[in-house]
Amino acid sequence: MKDVATLESSHSASPGHRATGGFSWIALWTLYTLTFRQHMHGRRWIVMGVLFLLPPGLAVLIRATAPDAPSIVTEFLLAFLLIPQALLPLIALVYASGIIQDEQEDQTLTYLLIRPIPRWAIYVVKLLATLTTTVLLTTIFTVLMYAAIYLGSEASFNTIVRRCSIAIAIHGLAVVAYCCLFGLIGLYTKRALIAGILYTAVIEGLLANLPFGLRFVTIIYYARIGAYRSMDFIFTRNGRDHNVAAETWQIDVKKDPELLDHPQLLTCVIVLAGASLVFAVIGALMCARREFHVKTPEGS
Amino acid sequence: MHSELPREVAGSPEVKPVVEFHKVSKWYGNVIGVNKLSIRIPAGVTGLLGPNGAGKSTLLQLATGQLFPSQGSVRVLGQEVWNNTAMNRLIGLCPEQDAFYEWMTGWDFIYTCARLGGLPRADAKDAAARTLDAVGMFKHKDRSVRGYSKGMRQRTKLAQALVHDPEVLFLDEPFTGTDPVARRDLMEIIRKLGAEGKSVLVSSHVLHEVHTLTPNIILLNRGRLVAEGQVREIRDLIDKHPHHIVLVCDEYRKLAGRVLTWDDVEGVRVLNRDKGLMVETRSPDKFYSRLPQLSLEDGLSIKEVYSDDDNLEAVFKYLVNK
Amino acid sequence: MPIFDQGYQHWSGELTGHTWRWLAITRHGVRIGMKNRLLRLAMMLAWLPALFLAFSLCVWGLLEQKSDLVKPLLGMLSFLGPEILDNPKNYRVEIWTLCYEYFLLTELRFSMIVILLVGPSLISQDLRFNAMPLYFSRPIRRIDYFIGKLGIIGYFLGLVLIVPSLVAYLLGMLFSLDLSIIPDTFPLLLACIGYGLLMTLSAGLLILALSSLSRSSRYVGLFWLGIWFVTSIVGSVLEGVNREQRMHDAYRKSYAMERSIQAGPMPKNPEEQRKRMVEQREAAQKLRAEIYRDELEGAQSDWRPMVSYTGNLARVGQHWLRSDASWQKIGQTVPADARDEFLLRSMGPRYPWYWSLLLLAILFGISVCILNFRVKSLDRLK
Repeated sequence: MKDVATLESSHSASPGHRATGGFSWIALWTLYTLTFRQHMHGRRWIVMGVLFLLPPGLAVLIRATAPDAPSIVTEFLLAFLLIPQALLPLIALVYASGIIQDEQEDQTLTYLLIRPIPRWAIYVVKLLATLTTTVLLTTIFTVLMYAAIYLGSEASFNTIVRRCSIAIAIHGLAVVAYCCLFGLIGLYTKRALIAGILYTAVIEGLLANLPFGLRFVTIIYYARIGAYRSMDFIFTRNGRDHNVAAETWQIDVKKDPELLDHPQLLTCVIVLAGASLVFAVIGALMCARREFHVKTPEGS
Repeated sequence: MHSELPREVAGSPEVKPVVEFHKVSKWYGNVIGVNKLSIRIPAGVTGLLGPNGAGKSTLLQLATGQLFPSQGSVRVLGQEVWNNTAMNRLIGLCPEQDAFYEWMTGWDFIYTCARLGGLPRADAKDAAARTLDAVGMFKHKDRSVRGYSKGMRQRTKLAQALVHDPEVLFLDEPFTGTDPVARRDLMEIIRKLGAEGKSVLVSSHVLHEVHTLTPNIILLNRGRLVAEGQVREIRDLIDKHPHHIVLVCDEYRKLAGRVLTWDDVEGVRVLNRDKGLMVETRSPDKFYSRLPQLSLEDGLSIKEVYSDDDNLEAVFKYLVNK
Repeated sequence: MPIFDQGYQHWSGELTGHTWRWLAITRHGVRIGMKNRLLRLAMMLAWLPALFLAFSLCVWGLLEQKSDLVKPLLGMLSFLGPEILDNPKNYRVEIWTLCYEYFLLTELRFSMIVILLVGPSLISQDLRFNAMPLYFSRPIRRIDYFIGKLGIIGYFLGLVLIVPSLVAYLLGMLFSLDLSIIPDTFPLLLACIGYGLLMTLSAGLLILALSSLSRSSRYVGLFWLGIWFVTSIVGSVLEGVNREQRMHDAYRKSYAMERSIQAGPMPKNPEEQRKRMVEQREAAQKLRAEIYRDELEGAQSDWRPMVSYTGNLARVGQHWLRSDASWQKIGQTVPADARDEFLLRSMGPRYPWYWSLLLLAILFGISVCILNFRVKSLDRLK
């Protein structure tokens, strides 16, 4: 039997192969691309794509069946009601709640745990790849939707581009926040789907619509205020101005025209980005300390 | 003769173990996976045996840093493994579960594993090609893993464990579901790895294959270490079960009368069908040494002599079923 | 003494027919489902609307008997109007119908949650863990398997929809102390049972079909949520835009009318001024009544609520309960000039109910096709 002394001398480092320390950018990049490929292969993105083609499809349908409906109203209903309240949480639940859970259930997590990648880095890199996927999909379909709403209308190209860019930014921030939150929930519980739905329905759905206090803990509130401060939602009908956003979101512009009771745009961005970072860091720390039972998954 | 088997390491204490468990316990809620396990696994090929639920997979997961011991410490090549990503470059694991990224081809999977191990592109390509060739999967590399047979999947799993050229390999049930040809090929690969200086710990139920791979075994039962060392040494230490030696002879009844006069013979059973005897003795070496004299003195022509329990299966049966 | 073989002994009796084989699958699924704490909690919460229903029916029974027990509640019921409160028996069927309508609408949401908790893993887990050979290597046909799985959903939906309806009905009947209540209200009970069966068949098969499409019950659950929430929101968006369009038309008419009345200079004579203002008011009222009438007529062909899956289920239930007729009768107690507005706000969608039934039937057919394609018997398994 060879003793270990002999073995130690045979730990000859192949160049670039046996780097000291636990960090390998190659490994991290490979994990990033692997996760991105996992998200994009198969039927999942097709289903998501169909779902995200809904707003452009609706826009076309609305323009065909109700041609007198102001474009701003259509834009508001689709871009700032349907997408942030229904589609963004759904896409975040699909992609982010299973960042680690899917690998654990498929029993492929072992292949990642036995590689020279820190556990916290496994989570962070997979989360980054998930954010890339979701933001990319959201951007593409937001652009398609704006094209469907405004092409051939009287609005100038610059206005359309500006409004579309703002919507992409708002949606991007919101979906990042949702992904970071649901990724953390996915680490914490196997029933991430139910927890995510309850969060979306109760907290985002109910609390966000309250005209006071508790809506400050919701992601959608900051997305709404950010949107409201970045663009106008006023249309004129028969000589009178209507602010569709203020009416729907119960923002009392008569009492508080400057919205002093609500955060500024920069605050909204900082809160959303900051919350995302906090959720991501907590998730990374959880992942670093946790065991993952792959052969006999927890609860089975 | 001691009735208790020694629990500490077999082998010289100067030799540093490749894998060391020091009073390790691991429990999952109320279920104990391994119980105060202290072993020192030397370099070379070692077999890890035990019935279902013995704690073999738990041991392997502890050794590869996937689980954190509830008590005690686990060291591989002198270092703790939990959250030690640098160690993962020196360790390879062929897991038991039949899980892959099914949508990938064999090449894609091994190449990705190489890259996940930190190899640059060119090195990863070389390593993937070399490893796939070593396990006999190069010609199937462009097929989707989904379409592989069980044996091909096992080879691919072994390939991902080898691709980054680790020093220590942990193989969890590598022969499960394989046909005899695949099994023979895998065993040959493991033997070669041992000969190249790698340390390999093979967990298996297939006792006779582990026996042909290595005489060094670790036997677990119900989370505890039952025996450790060479099969023969362990067998000798099992006082309770005398050795069974079969003698085939035409005048077997006369032979029976003769051996019964020896004081180390504890029992004789006549095997009418085989025209032989099964002798129970606690001193097999002494018994063997007398056989030629028996033949010379009494003219008894012994056609065949063998022991039917000087093997791993017998050791396993005696120790696990007691 | 005889020595008995302790080994496996084959069953030498008769095997039962196929009629009840699905029951073993249903029983097993129910047993597994009842271990789910969340599901038990959801079912307990789903019984809360049933308590309110039972309470409402009991109160109405006491009101019919002019019991003193109900006097403290008369203040709360004043929104019904004196005509209804003074003749509760005459409006018994209508009040019971509307109570059941609200109950079923609420339970529809709870049912969707129960299906979300029970349904996604029914077939997806069998596919994931390759349990199909375990089923079909036994003398079980595919139809037994599907009925067994559907039975699981039917059991839980029955507990949420049918059993509470029945219990509330019995309590309401007891508190009424009038046997004529049975012929008057029995169709409601039948409608509830029919609605429960419709939900089981439609939603149950749909979730089974979705479950057969993926090995991950999480994605199936998300798909189910998509069908529920996204279709509802899309329906609301379409209705919102349509409403905007109609408001736009209404404003245009109103603006045109004002312009025509105000054409010409304002008269100096106060009498003339007063006359013009009266004309304006009458014209505005007439226009408003015309708008509401147009809305009511337009609602009869407004297909937009059909986009929502739950909206279709609700529409069929609404027809079977005959709640439109109940609203019409209650609307007679409202002053004539406010009646159309009252009916517009109170009544649900008014498009033909068989449109929804047809849509549900199409979904049923699609679900059956998906199940037929995805779940194969043993000889056709790969």
